[in-house]
Amino acid sequence: MNPSKIAILSAAVLAPFFAPSSAQGAASAWSVNPQSRVRLISPWQVAPRGGELVLGLQFRLAPGWHVYWKNSGDAGFPPVVTFQPAEILGKPELLWPTPSRFELPGGLVAFGYEGEVVYPVHATVWPDALPSPAASPAGAGSFFIKADLDYLTCKIDCVPYRYRLTLEQPLGDQSVTDPETSPLLQTWIDRLPRSVADVPDLELSTLLDASRPGAPELEIRLRGVTAQPGKTDLFLESNESLDAGKPRVKVFPESVIFHVPLKPREVGKPLPAKIVLAWTASNLSRNGESFALESRHEVGVWTAAAPKPGERNQPPAQSPSRVVQLVLWALLGGALLNLSPTVLALLVCEVLALRQVGRTGVREGAAAAATGIVGACWGFAALALATRQTGWPAGFGSQLQEPALGALFAVAAAWLALNLWGLVEVPLAPAGASRTGTGRHLLAGLFTVPLGLAWPVPMLREPLGYALGRGPAMVGAVFAVVGFGLALPYLILALVPAVVRPPSSPAAWVSRLREGLGFLAGASTLWILHDLSREVSPEGLAWIELSLLGMALLAWLRARAGSGKAWRFALALGLAACAAGVLWLADHNRLAPRAEAARALFPNRKPFNGLPPAVREPIPNQTSGG
Amino acid sequence: MRTDAKIRTLLLAVAVLLLAALPALASGAVGETATAFKLKGVDGKTYSLADLKGKVVVLEWVNPNCPFSDRHAREKTMSDLVKQHGEVVWLGINSSSAQSGEYVKPADYQTYIQKNGINYAVLYDESGTVGHAYGARTTPHMFIIGKDGKIAYNGAIDDDPAGRKARPERVNYVGGGLNAEKTGKNPDPAATKPYGCSVKY
Repeated sequence: MNPSKIAILSAAVLAPFFAPSSAQGAASAWSVNPQSRVRLISPWQVAPRGGELVLGLQFRLAPGWHVYWKNSGDAGFPPVVTFQPAEILGKPELLWPTPSRFELPGGLVAFGYEGEVVYPVHATVWPDALPSPAASPAGAGSFFIKADLDYLTCKIDCVPYRYRLTLEQPLGDQSVTDPETSPLLQTWIDRLPRSVADVPDLELSTLLDASRPGAPELEIRLRGVTAQPGKTDLFLESNESLDAGKPRVKVFPESVIFHVPLKPREVGKPLPAKIVLAWTASNLSRNGESFALESRHEVGVWTAAAPKPGERNQPPAQSPSRVVQLVLWALLGGALLNLSPTVLALLVCEVLALRQVGRTGVREGAAAAATGIVGACWGFAALALATRQTGWPAGFGSQLQEPALGALFAVAAAWLALNLWGLVEVPLAPAGASRTGTGRHLLAGLFTVPLGLAWPVPMLREPLGYALGRGPAMVGAVFAVVGFGLALPYLILALVPAVVRPPSSPAAWVSRLREGLGFLAGASTLWILHDLSREVSPEGLAWIELSLLGMALLAWLRARAGSGKAWRFALALGLAACAAGVLWLADHNRLAPRAEAARALFPNRKPFNGLPPAVREPIPNQTSGG
Repeated sequence: MRTDAKIRTLLLAVAVLLLAALPALASGAVGETATAFKLKGVDGKTYSLADLKGKVVVLEWVNPNCPFSDRHAREKTMSDLVKQHGEVVWLGINSSSAQSGEYVKPADYQTYIQKNGINYAVLYDESGTVGHAYGARTTPHMFIIGKDGKIAYNGAIDDDPAGRKARPERVNYVGGGLNAEKTGKNPDPAATKPYGCSVKY
């Protein structure tokens, strides 16, 4: 809505509060059916003669039944209503409170309202067309407002209804408020989304990325509002050339990014350079006040041939001292990652293994592990750059908000637990001297990075955010510094191998310690899964957990399968399929939260630690309003 | 694990992922080649899209328990179009799952067909495979497949979800699309938003 309109509506509805009230009702009779009841309400028992008039179309719905938003989603249709007399009321406008999302069988979705909803109706009364005051015994007259309404209500089944609602609206010079309907209507006016232009200091940028043929994606970035993981949602209005899929919502401390997969209704038909899209974003807040936002504006369509608008605006250069500080933080942050439970467990096992080789072996093994760590950091730098190209928000602190990445970290932690328990033989943490070797330490180093990056060390946010807003060289350099920090214990070992002393005799406590550390890795897996629960539905999380359990079962069977090669190979395949299954389940938006279920299960979810304000390239000044 | 075994494992995992992603690739967008199917009709015959090569085919997703589908059956919206366009093959497809509360047994559907004078075949897709392949969302949801085997129209039957208008006042998108097909033109509009009940997959 435009800013002036919401003020007009509020004024029109608040006006009755300042007028005297009486006990008379200001509503049509309820039209009742087994699924719903509906009536027309007015905030006035006696309305002023002329001016703005806000009415309401009030629905009460039986449990599980819903009526629709202006875009009904995959099925259904929104209420259609015409008002009479047109010569007095003109063409009143039906307004749309922020909707909810309903998941239907077959992956279909509907947008609408359940329980109760009042659609505000904005009308203007033309005084010249009103009946003469003398025609009424009260001396001020009245007129009948008739609403011809068609609506559909659905649960799983759908039932359409058609009613004529009639409300006699008394008029007078002394207007009289209605104590029931006036506050009710105000409540629902408050639930109308605000215009973007109505929220000061809000930055909005939108882009329709059509660089991937047949799979365009809309990106909407809002900065200056707080979103709620699992609750904030985006509803796109119908568009004649594109269908919208379920948005991915990335929540940061004071910003939110929506990625909406789109499907062209006609293949091979190029999209225009600009396209008008309208949307409503729900469950946003600022300064403790909750609201929804709506916007309708032209969105630029980006194809591979043109540079992305945001890329033209490079972030401002940092001063040399600031860069030095960021590098230092990257180094310290990387070093701190060694204290995360999984990295610590692997580090302890590595040190225990290195104790069993000679001084040269310690030096070579530690150097190999450090090389693996820095190499894997570069690998993640490449991944961050690649995902930035495909529209994923890159940044440290948000990694567990991307279900596929969170699932990858969970698989890594679970794999480490299985390894420490002796169920997976890939020698990440070699147990004995016979199994050590430079290659194996390199592997342990490589594996350290996905274990470490699961942990949101706050110190790393700013340097990584700074790097990710710049070119590949800076990204590679900063990730390398983080790698050096993470590899610090190994670098010390390589330089001073005498730090570890060989054991005088083999000790049984070493293997017990390994098994114990396995539980630490297992607990880390659970922590990651807990965080993943903000992003996926409870059912989806259960499937991921089942896949991880399947992984453990197959690893256990394989460890006890004897020497039968075919059997062991089959179990290894199953193990790999389970690990891949976890990632697959978390990808493709299959497990995005079902709003209602998530709300019921996690009413007090807190936003995950997110990005600092300057993490990506700045939002371009192509801001626009409603 | 030997290197070749590792590669085999990786290939298998990729194959599993690709197979699993197949349903997500289907869409039924205008301009795409219509997905082939073979379904059994309530008349006991088997219908295959491949057998209808070179003909204009209309697919209508149906559900006699959906008030929208039922209204159009009673008003003979579809049956009258079938009469007007004798050269067109019109197929109703019921993708309601047998577990859905709105499932109608084929024998009962036959009675419904006779009662409403439905003059085209209705096919059963209880698994929802064909419905998902076309991205069918509502009953009714209409598709016109051109003689070239490509989807020429995807969307609503008309512009009157509430059924408020008299029939002559409605813009019948499918009727317009079939007229365009006759003259070798593309339907305009080629895509609209379908309305009605959700398909009961």
